[in-house]
Amino acid sequence: MPTPIGRELVALLPRLRRFALVLCRSQPLADDLVQGACERALVNANSWTPGTRFDAWMFRIIRNHWIDHLRRMKTEGIMEDVALQTQLIGDPGEEPILSRLVLAEVQQAIDSLPQEQKEVLALVCGEDLTYREAAEVLNIPVGTVMSRLARARKRLVELTAAA
Amino acid sequence: MAELHLTDEILMAFADGELDESVAAAVAQVMAQDPSVARRIVDFQQSRRLSRSAFESSLSSKVPIELQAAISARIEAHEGVNSAGKVDLHEVRRTRLIRSFPLMRMALAACLAGIAVATGYFFGRQVDREASQIAQLEDPLIRRELSRLESGRDLELPMGRFRVISSYQLANGALCREFELKSASRSAGAVACRANEWNVTFAVSNPAKSADYTPSSGGDLMDSYLQNLGAGQPLEEKAEARALAEFMP
Repeated sequence: MPTPIGRELVALLPRLRRFALVLCRSQPLADDLVQGACERALVNANSWTPGTRFDAWMFRIIRNHWIDHLRRMKTEGIMEDVALQTQLIGDPGEEPILSRLVLAEVQQAIDSLPQEQKEVLALVCGEDLTYREAAEVLNIPVGTVMSRLARARKRLVELTAAA
Repeated sequence: MAELHLTDEILMAFADGELDESVAAAVAQVMAQDPSVARRIVDFQQSRRLSRSAFESSLSSKVPIELQAAISARIEAHEGVNSAGKVDLHEVRRTRLIRSFPLMRMALAACLAGIAVATGYFFGRQVDREASQIAQLEDPLIRRELSRLESGRDLELPMGRFRVISSYQLANGALCREFELKSASRSAGAVACRANEWNVTFAVSNPAKSADYTPSSGGDLMDSYLQNLGAGQPLEEKAEARALAEFMP
Protein backbone atom coordinates (compact mmCIF):
# COMPACT_ATOMS: atom_id res chain seq x y z
CA MET A 1 0.00 0.00 0.00
CA PRO A 2 1.64 3.26 -1.07
CA THR A 3 1.99 6.10 1.42
CA PRO A 4 -1.08 8.34 0.95
CA ILE A 5 0.19 11.73 -0.11
CA GLY A 6 -2.94 13.09 -1.81
CA ARG A 7 -3.88 15.54 0.92
CA GLU A 8 -0.42 17.06 1.12
CA LEU A 9 -0.21 17.18 -2.64
CA VAL A 10 -3.43 19.17 -3.01
CA ALA A 11 -2.41 21.54 -0.23
CA LEU A 12 0.95 22.08 -1.87
CA LEU A 13 -0.41 22.83 -5.36
CA PRO A 14 -0.18 26.64 -5.18
CA ARG A 15 3.45 26.49 -4.11
CA LEU A 16 4.27 23.83 -6.68
CA ARG A 17 2.86 26.03 -9.44
CA ARG A 18 4.79 28.99 -8.15
CA PHE A 19 8.05 27.09 -8.22
CA ALA A 20 7.21 25.56 -11.61
CA LEU A 21 6.71 29.05 -12.95
CA VAL A 22 10.14 30.08 -11.67
CA LEU A 23 11.58 27.13 -13.55
CA CYS A 24 9.82 27.41 -16.89
CA ARG A 25 8.42 30.95 -17.02
CA SER A 26 5.28 29.89 -18.82
CA GLN A 27 1.93 29.39 -17.14
CA PRO A 28 0.62 26.55 -19.37
CA LEU A 29 3.98 24.79 -19.22
CA ALA A 30 4.08 25.26 -15.45
CA ASP A 31 0.71 23.55 -15.11
CA ASP A 32 1.86 20.62 -17.26
CA LEU A 33 4.98 20.41 -15.16
CA VAL A 34 3.00 20.32 -11.92
CA GLN A 35 0.70 17.66 -13.29
CA GLY A 36 3.60 15.52 -14.47
CA ALA A 37 5.43 15.91 -11.17
CA CYS A 38 2.31 14.98 -9.19
CA GLU A 39 1.91 11.86 -11.29
CA ARG A 40 5.52 10.94 -10.63
CA ALA A 41 5.11 11.58 -6.93
CA LEU A 42 2.00 9.39 -6.73
CA VAL A 43 3.73 6.54 -8.51
CA ASN A 44 6.77 6.86 -6.25
CA ALA A 45 4.93 7.78 -3.07
CA ASN A 46 6.86 5.14 -1.15
CA SER A 47 10.13 6.94 -1.68
CA TRP A 48 8.95 9.83 0.49
CA THR A 49 9.76 9.24 4.15
CA PRO A 50 6.91 10.42 6.38
CA GLY A 51 8.25 12.86 8.94
CA THR A 52 10.59 14.51 6.44
CA ARG A 53 9.65 17.64 4.53
CA PHE A 54 7.11 16.81 1.88
CA ASP A 55 7.49 20.17 0.14
CA ALA A 56 11.24 19.76 -0.36
CA TRP A 57 10.67 16.25 -1.73
CA MET A 58 8.11 17.60 -4.22
CA PHE A 59 10.29 20.53 -5.27
CA ARG A 60 13.03 18.07 -6.10
CA ILE A 61 10.66 15.95 -8.16
CA ILE A 62 9.34 18.94 -10.03
CA ARG A 63 12.81 20.20 -10.80
CA ASN A 64 14.02 16.80 -11.99
CA HIS A 65 10.91 16.55 -14.11
CA TRP A 66 11.69 19.93 -15.62
CA ILE A 67 15.27 18.94 -16.41
CA ASP A 68 14.04 15.76 -18.09
CA HIS A 69 11.56 17.80 -20.05
CA LEU A 70 14.28 20.18 -21.20
CA ARG A 71 16.44 17.29 -22.29
CA ARG A 72 13.63 15.71 -24.28
CA MET A 73 12.04 18.76 -25.82
CA LYS A 74 14.80 21.35 -25.90
CA THR A 75 12.16 23.93 -25.19
CA GLU A 76 14.36 26.83 -24.18
CA GLY A 77 13.61 28.63 -27.43
CA ILE A 78 9.84 28.49 -27.18
CA MET A 79 9.24 29.72 -23.67
CA GLU A 80 6.73 32.50 -23.43
CA ASP A 81 7.40 35.69 -21.64
CA VAL A 82 5.85 35.32 -18.25
CA ALA A 83 5.57 39.07 -17.87
CA LEU A 84 2.76 39.01 -20.40
CA GLN A 85 0.79 36.52 -18.38
CA THR A 86 1.56 37.35 -14.82
CA GLN A 87 -0.42 40.04 -13.19
CA LEU A 88 0.29 41.06 -9.68
CA ILE A 89 -2.44 40.70 -7.17
CA GLY A 90 -1.07 42.27 -4.02
CA ASP A 91 -2.17 40.59 -0.80
CA PRO A 92 -2.95 43.40 1.59
CA GLY A 93 -3.21 40.97 4.51
CA GLU A 94 0.30 39.63 4.07
CA GLU A 95 2.46 42.70 3.57
CA PRO A 96 0.48 45.88 4.06
CA ILE A 97 3.56 48.05 3.74
CA LEU A 98 4.46 46.99 0.23
CA SER A 99 2.62 48.74 -2.51
CA ARG A 100 1.74 47.03 -5.77
CA LEU A 101 4.25 49.26 -7.43
CA VAL A 102 7.07 48.07 -5.21
CA LEU A 103 6.03 44.46 -5.68
CA ALA A 104 6.05 44.93 -9.43
CA GLU A 105 9.51 46.37 -9.17
CA VAL A 106 10.75 43.46 -7.08
CA GLN A 107 9.12 40.99 -9.44
CA GLN A 108 10.88 42.62 -12.33
CA ALA A 109 14.18 42.53 -10.49
CA ILE A 110 13.71 38.82 -9.73
CA ASP A 111 12.91 38.15 -13.38
CA SER A 112 16.16 39.80 -14.39
CA LEU A 113 18.28 37.44 -12.26
CA PRO A 114 20.09 34.48 -13.79
CA GLN A 115 17.95 31.34 -13.68
CA GLU A 116 20.26 29.55 -11.22
CA GLN A 117 19.95 32.44 -8.74
CA LYS A 118 16.20 32.67 -9.20
CA GLU A 119 15.73 29.00 -8.30
CA VAL A 120 17.67 29.33 -5.07
CA LEU A 121 15.87 32.53 -4.18
CA ALA A 122 12.48 30.90 -4.79
CA LEU A 123 13.30 27.90 -2.61
CA VAL A 124 14.91 29.73 0.31
CA CYS A 125 13.11 33.08 0.40
CA GLY A 126 9.88 32.08 -1.32
CA GLU A 127 9.42 28.61 0.15
CA ASP A 128 11.42 28.83 3.38
CA LEU A 129 13.67 25.87 2.72
CA THR A 130 16.94 25.82 4.63
CA TYR A 131 20.18 26.14 2.66
CA ARG A 132 20.76 22.42 3.07
CA GLU A 133 17.26 21.51 1.91
CA ALA A 134 17.60 23.78 -1.13
CA ALA A 135 20.97 22.19 -1.89
CA GLU A 136 19.33 18.77 -1.88
CA VAL A 137 16.51 19.90 -4.16
CA LEU A 138 18.94 21.43 -6.64
CA ASN A 139 21.60 18.78 -6.22
CA ILE A 140 24.36 21.32 -5.60
CA PRO A 141 26.68 21.98 -2.61
CA VAL A 142 25.41 24.15 0.26
CA GLY A 143 28.25 26.60 -0.44
CA THR A 144 26.95 27.09 -3.98
CA VAL A 145 23.43 27.70 -2.64
CA MET A 146 24.85 30.37 -0.35
CA SER A 147 26.93 32.15 -2.95
CA ARG A 148 24.10 32.18 -5.52
CA LEU A 149 21.62 33.34 -2.91
CA ALA A 150 23.86 36.10 -1.59
CA ARG A 151 24.52 37.37 -5.11
CA ALA A 152 20.81 37.31 -5.95
CA ARG A 153 19.84 39.18 -2.82
CA LYS A 154 22.54 41.83 -3.16
CA ARG A 155 21.40 42.40 -6.70
CA LEU A 156 17.76 42.68 -5.58
CA VAL A 157 18.70 45.28 -3.01
CA GLU A 158 20.59 47.25 -5.65
CA LEU A 159 17.76 47.04 -8.14
CA THR A 160 15.08 48.00 -5.65
CA ALA A 161 17.07 50.51 -3.65
CA ALA A 162 14.05 52.76 -3.40
CA ALA A 163 11.79 50.03 -2.00
CA MET B 1 40.49 41.17 19.98
CA ALA B 2 39.89 38.74 17.13
CA GLU B 3 38.25 40.28 14.09
CA LEU B 4 36.02 38.23 11.90
CA HIS B 5 36.09 38.51 8.13
CA LEU B 6 32.42 38.84 7.31
CA THR B 7 31.65 37.62 3.85
CA ASP B 8 28.23 38.28 2.32
CA GLU B 9 27.46 34.59 2.78
CA ILE B 10 28.14 34.70 6.51
CA LEU B 11 26.08 37.85 7.03
CA MET B 12 23.26 36.41 4.95
CA ALA B 13 23.35 33.15 6.91
CA PHE B 14 23.22 35.23 10.08
CA ALA B 15 20.18 37.16 8.82
CA ASP B 16 18.52 33.84 7.89
CA GLY B 17 19.31 32.19 11.22
CA GLU B 18 21.47 29.56 9.53
CA LEU B 19 24.66 30.02 11.54
CA ASP B 20 25.46 28.00 14.59
CA GLU B 21 25.39 29.80 17.89
CA SER B 22 29.08 30.51 18.39
CA VAL B 23 29.63 31.99 14.92
CA ALA B 24 26.36 33.92 15.22
CA ALA B 25 27.51 35.32 18.56
CA ALA B 26 30.76 36.49 16.98
CA VAL B 27 28.88 38.14 14.11
CA ALA B 28 26.50 39.80 16.56
CA GLN B 29 29.48 41.21 18.42
CA VAL B 30 30.97 42.76 15.30
CA MET B 31 27.57 44.01 14.25
CA ALA B 32 27.15 45.81 17.54
CA GLN B 33 30.32 47.77 16.84
CA ASP B 34 30.03 48.36 13.15
CA PRO B 35 26.96 50.02 11.62
CA SER B 36 28.03 49.08 8.11
CA VAL B 37 27.83 45.40 9.05
CA ALA B 38 24.42 45.97 10.61
CA ARG B 39 23.33 47.69 7.42
CA ARG B 40 24.40 44.72 5.29
CA ILE B 41 22.47 42.34 7.55
CA VAL B 42 19.39 44.52 7.40
CA ASP B 43 19.67 44.49 3.60
CA PHE B 44 19.66 40.70 3.61
CA GLN B 45 16.56 40.68 5.81
CA GLN B 46 14.91 43.18 3.53
CA SER B 47 15.72 41.23 0.36
CA ARG B 48 14.19 38.13 1.90
CA ARG B 49 11.03 39.95 2.84
CA LEU B 50 10.73 41.59 -0.55
CA SER B 51 11.29 38.47 -2.59
CA ARG B 52 8.97 36.48 -0.42
CA SER B 53 6.21 39.04 -0.95
CA ALA B 54 6.85 39.01 -4.68
CA PHE B 55 6.63 35.22 -4.87
CA GLU B 56 3.53 35.16 -2.69
CA SER B 57 1.69 37.69 -4.75
CA SER B 58 2.31 36.10 -8.11
CA LEU B 59 -0.67 34.87 -10.03
CA SER B 60 0.68 31.34 -9.96
CA SER B 61 -0.59 30.77 -6.43
CA LYS B 62 -4.14 30.58 -7.80
CA VAL B 63 -4.63 27.01 -8.93
CA PRO B 64 -6.92 26.71 -11.96
CA ILE B 65 -9.92 24.42 -11.44
CA GLU B 66 -8.87 22.24 -14.39
CA LEU B 67 -5.47 21.53 -12.88
CA GLN B 68 -6.96 20.88 -9.46
CA ALA B 69 -9.48 18.47 -11.02
CA ALA B 70 -6.80 16.67 -13.03
CA ILE B 71 -4.61 16.19 -9.96
CA SER B 72 -7.56 15.05 -7.87
CA ALA B 73 -8.38 12.45 -10.52
CA ARG B 74 -4.81 11.16 -10.45
CA ILE B 75 -4.86 10.99 -6.67
CA GLU B 76 -8.12 9.11 -6.75
CA ALA B 77 -6.70 6.68 -9.28
CA HIS B 78 -3.65 6.03 -7.12
CA GLU B 79 -5.07 6.20 -3.65
CA GLY B 80 -8.73 5.44 -4.22
CA VAL B 81 -9.94 8.46 -2.30
CA ASN B 82 -11.01 11.89 -3.33
CA SER B 83 -8.64 14.16 -1.50
CA ALA B 84 -9.45 17.33 -3.32
CA GLY B 85 -11.68 19.98 -1.91
CA LYS B 86 -11.31 18.75 1.64
CA VAL B 87 -8.08 20.50 2.33
CA ASP B 88 -7.71 24.08 3.28
CA LEU B 89 -5.09 25.32 0.86
CA HIS B 90 -3.62 27.46 3.56
CA GLU B 91 -3.43 24.59 6.03
CA VAL B 92 0.02 23.46 5.04
CA ARG B 93 1.76 26.77 5.07
CA ARG B 94 5.16 27.72 6.25
CA THR B 95 6.55 24.93 8.34
CA ARG B 96 9.42 27.10 9.25
CA LEU B 97 9.14 30.83 9.51
CA ILE B 98 12.26 32.89 9.38
CA ARG B 99 14.19 31.96 12.47
CA SER B 100 14.87 34.99 14.50
CA PHE B 101 17.84 35.58 16.69
CA PRO B 102 17.32 37.35 20.00
CA LEU B 103 21.06 37.86 19.77
CA MET B 104 20.69 39.81 16.56
CA ARG B 105 18.07 42.12 18.02
CA MET B 106 20.32 42.82 20.99
CA ALA B 107 23.23 43.53 18.70
CA LEU B 108 21.14 45.85 16.56
CA ALA B 109 20.10 47.85 19.59
CA ALA B 110 23.66 48.07 20.79
CA CYS B 111 24.75 49.06 17.32
CA LEU B 112 22.34 51.94 17.07
CA ALA B 113 23.50 53.14 20.44
CA GLY B 114 27.15 52.88 19.48
CA ILE B 115 27.30 54.45 16.04
CA ALA B 116 29.39 57.40 17.15
CA VAL B 117 32.03 55.14 18.65
CA ALA B 118 32.10 52.76 15.75
CA THR B 119 32.69 55.40 13.11
CA GLY B 120 35.70 56.81 14.96
CA TYR B 121 39.00 57.34 13.21
CA PHE B 122 40.85 54.71 15.14
CA PHE B 123 38.28 52.06 14.42
CA GLY B 124 38.35 52.95 10.73
CA ARG B 125 42.10 52.48 10.60
CA GLN B 126 41.84 49.14 12.33
CA VAL B 127 39.29 47.99 9.78
CA ASP B 128 41.49 49.21 6.91
CA ARG B 129 44.47 47.22 8.14
CA GLU B 130 42.37 44.15 8.62
CA ALA B 131 40.73 44.52 5.22
CA SER B 132 44.04 44.81 3.43
CA GLN B 133 45.34 41.67 5.07
CA ILE B 134 42.13 39.82 4.28
CA ALA B 135 42.49 40.90 0.64
CA GLN B 136 45.99 39.44 0.59
CA LEU B 137 44.61 36.04 1.52
CA GLU B 138 43.35 35.66 -2.03
CA ASP B 139 46.58 36.81 -3.64
CA PRO B 140 47.57 34.69 -6.67
CA LEU B 141 50.73 33.59 -4.83
CA ILE B 142 48.71 32.24 -1.95
CA ARG B 143 46.25 30.59 -4.29
CA ARG B 144 49.15 28.89 -6.08
CA GLU B 145 50.67 27.63 -2.83
CA LEU B 146 47.29 26.38 -1.62
CA SER B 147 47.31 24.05 -4.60
CA ARG B 148 50.68 22.51 -3.77
CA LEU B 149 52.06 23.16 -0.30
CA GLU B 150 51.49 20.24 2.04
CA SER B 151 49.99 20.80 5.48
CA GLY B 152 52.42 21.66 8.25
CA ARG B 153 54.85 23.42 5.89
CA ASP B 154 55.88 27.09 6.11
CA LEU B 155 56.80 29.43 3.29
CA GLU B 156 58.05 33.01 3.27
CA LEU B 157 55.99 35.11 0.84
CA PRO B 158 56.22 38.86 0.14
CA MET B 159 53.10 39.47 2.22
CA GLY B 160 54.19 37.37 5.18
CA ARG B 161 54.85 33.88 6.44
CA PHE B 162 52.37 31.45 4.96
CA ARG B 163 51.56 28.12 6.55
CA VAL B 164 48.98 25.50 5.63
CA ILE B 165 47.56 23.89 8.74
CA SER B 166 45.28 21.16 7.45
CA SER B 167 43.12 20.00 4.56
CA TYR B 168 39.53 18.76 4.60
CA GLN B 169 37.34 17.10 2.08
CA LEU B 170 33.68 18.08 2.47
CA ALA B 171 30.77 15.73 1.92
CA ASN B 172 30.26 17.22 -1.55
CA GLY B 173 33.87 16.48 -2.47
CA ALA B 174 35.10 20.08 -2.22
CA LEU B 175 38.64 20.47 -0.93
CA CYS B 176 39.11 23.09 1.79
CA ARG B 177 42.34 24.12 3.52
CA GLU B 178 42.96 25.95 6.74
CA PHE B 179 45.98 28.24 6.63
CA GLU B 180 47.74 31.15 8.35
CA LEU B 181 49.39 34.30 7.11
CA LYS B 182 51.57 36.22 9.55
CA SER B 183 52.99 39.62 8.73
CA ALA B 184 54.89 41.96 11.05
CA SER B 185 51.73 43.68 12.20
CA ARG B 186 48.93 41.14 11.81
CA SER B 187 48.22 37.46 11.84
CA ALA B 188 45.30 35.86 9.99
CA GLY B 189 43.83 32.39 10.09
CA ALA B 190 41.63 31.45 7.16
CA VAL B 191 39.84 28.68 5.33
CA ALA B 192 39.83 28.52 1.55
CA CYS B 193 37.82 26.08 -0.54
CA ARG B 194 38.47 25.25 -4.12
CA ALA B 195 35.86 25.35 -6.86
CA ASN B 196 37.52 26.61 -10.03
CA GLU B 197 40.03 28.47 -7.93
CA TRP B 198 40.73 28.96 -4.25
CA ASN B 199 38.27 31.23 -2.52
CA VAL B 200 38.61 32.33 1.08
CA THR B 201 35.38 31.38 2.83
CA PHE B 202 36.33 32.36 6.35
CA ALA B 203 39.06 34.46 7.96
CA VAL B 204 39.93 35.73 11.41
CA SER B 205 42.51 38.47 11.69
CA ASN B 206 44.40 39.48 14.84
CA PRO B 207 47.10 42.03 15.60
CA ALA B 208 50.46 40.23 15.63
CA LYS B 209 51.62 39.03 19.03
CA SER B 210 55.01 38.48 20.54
CA ALA B 211 56.76 35.12 20.50
CA ASP B 212 55.01 33.97 23.66
CA TYR B 213 51.66 34.60 22.01
CA THR B 214 48.88 32.23 22.93
CA PRO B 215 45.94 31.66 20.56
CA SER B 216 42.94 33.88 21.27
CA SER B 217 39.28 33.24 20.63
CA GLY B 218 40.11 33.12 16.89
CA GLY B 219 40.87 29.40 17.29
CA ASP B 220 37.42 28.71 18.70
CA LEU B 221 35.81 30.58 15.85
CA MET B 222 37.83 28.58 13.35
CA ASP B 223 36.79 25.31 15.01
CA SER B 224 33.15 26.38 14.97
CA TYR B 225 33.39 27.36 11.35
CA LEU B 226 34.99 24.08 10.32
CA GLN B 227 32.40 22.19 12.30
CA ASN B 228 29.68 24.24 10.63
CA LEU B 229 31.11 23.34 7.28
CA GLY B 230 30.93 19.62 8.11
CA ALA B 231 34.68 19.40 7.60
CA GLY B 232 35.18 16.30 9.78
CA GLN B 233 38.71 15.01 10.34
CA PRO B 234 41.69 16.57 8.52
CA LEU B 235 43.00 14.55 5.59
CA GLU B 236 46.00 12.30 6.21
CA GLU B 237 49.19 13.04 4.32
CA LYS B 238 48.55 10.63 1.44
CA ALA B 239 44.89 11.51 1.08
CA GLU B 240 45.85 15.18 1.01
CA ALA B 241 48.43 14.59 -1.72
CA ARG B 242 45.83 12.70 -3.75
CA ALA B 243 43.22 15.43 -3.29
CA LEU B 244 45.69 18.13 -4.28
CA ALA B 245 46.75 16.17 -7.37
CA GLU B 246 43.12 15.74 -8.41
CA PHE B 247 42.64 19.46 -8.28
CA MET B 248 45.62 20.26 -10.45
CA PRO B 249 44.38 22.24 -13.44
